[in-house]
Amino acid sequence: MAPTSASGDQPSDKDNWDNGRLARRQQLLTEIVLRNKLTTLVFDGDTMCRVLEQVLLRSYGVQTQGVDNGRDAIALIAFGAKFNLIIIKKILPIMNGLEADSLNGSGCKILGVTACSGESERQAFLAIGVDVFIEKPLDPEHLVPILRELDG
Amino acid sequence: MLGLDADRLRADLNRLLAFLFHQGILDEQYLQLQQLQDESSPNFVSEVVNIYFHESEKLLRNLRSLLMDREFSDYDKMGIHLNQFIGSSSSIGAKRVRNVCVAFRAASDQNNRAGCLRALELLEHEYCILKNKLHELFQ
Repeated sequence: MAPTSASGDQPSDKDNWDNGRLARRQQLLTEIVLRNKLTTLVFDGDTMCRVLEQVLLRSYGVQTQGVDNGRDAIALIAFGAKFNLIIIKKILPIMNGLEADSLNGSGCKILGVTACSGESERQAFLAIGVDVFIEKPLDPEHLVPILRELDG
Repeated sequence: MLGLDADRLRADLNRLLAFLFHQGILDEQYLQLQQLQDESSPNFVSEVVNIYFHESEKLLRNLRSLLMDREFSDYDKMGIHLNQFIGSSSSIGAKRVRNVCVAFRAASDQNNRAGCLRALELLEHEYCILKNKLHELFQ
């Protein structure tokens, strides 16, 4: 039987080992309310990670579309689907500087997530115009500021 | 009476969770999962954990069969499996398993077969501990 969540729940014996970050995360999860309808494309070949990223985004009221392969991701973007935020796990072949620029121009943010980042991978992502680059897992501390910025 | 039992159960679960955190077996990301669970998806955490078990066991089988092959040389392939394992472990907060995968990947990057074998043993061991503890949580 898994403990169910309740935003008011703060058992006292949890307080010491997480340095207060639990409280901060609960705050982040419950406090943000988006004014606009935001849409996100989540490209991640790993089912578990993709599903969790989508669930997290939906908990903020963000509409999400998930793809598990590069071909589908490219097709969606090429055929004009509009997204406020694109979350990518690896570099799509078409995402050279040109494509990323045209996406960036429309106010779309690109967030790269990776399992294990080395400097070279980080540089490769930044070189193609990714706005932010983080190590998995996707968490509210990184996501909320981005959503707030997109919301205006 | 019912209230007392529920409180005791909750206290036991919290103690187990606190233990898992102190041991570094789970990290805050697991709490993230709990927060995503609500009335509309009351089994969310256990469902995610079951998917994780399923995927992890497949990955472990793949890693073992790669390394057991005497002719083995495809470290790139091993790296891909390990990246997936690192990603999914991070996503549910399986900290110790993730850390062993990272060390495993370092050995793989250096084409160090003996190091990989050692890491695989440790990984199977850590995964076993995690699985048992998570089963306890969900009983």
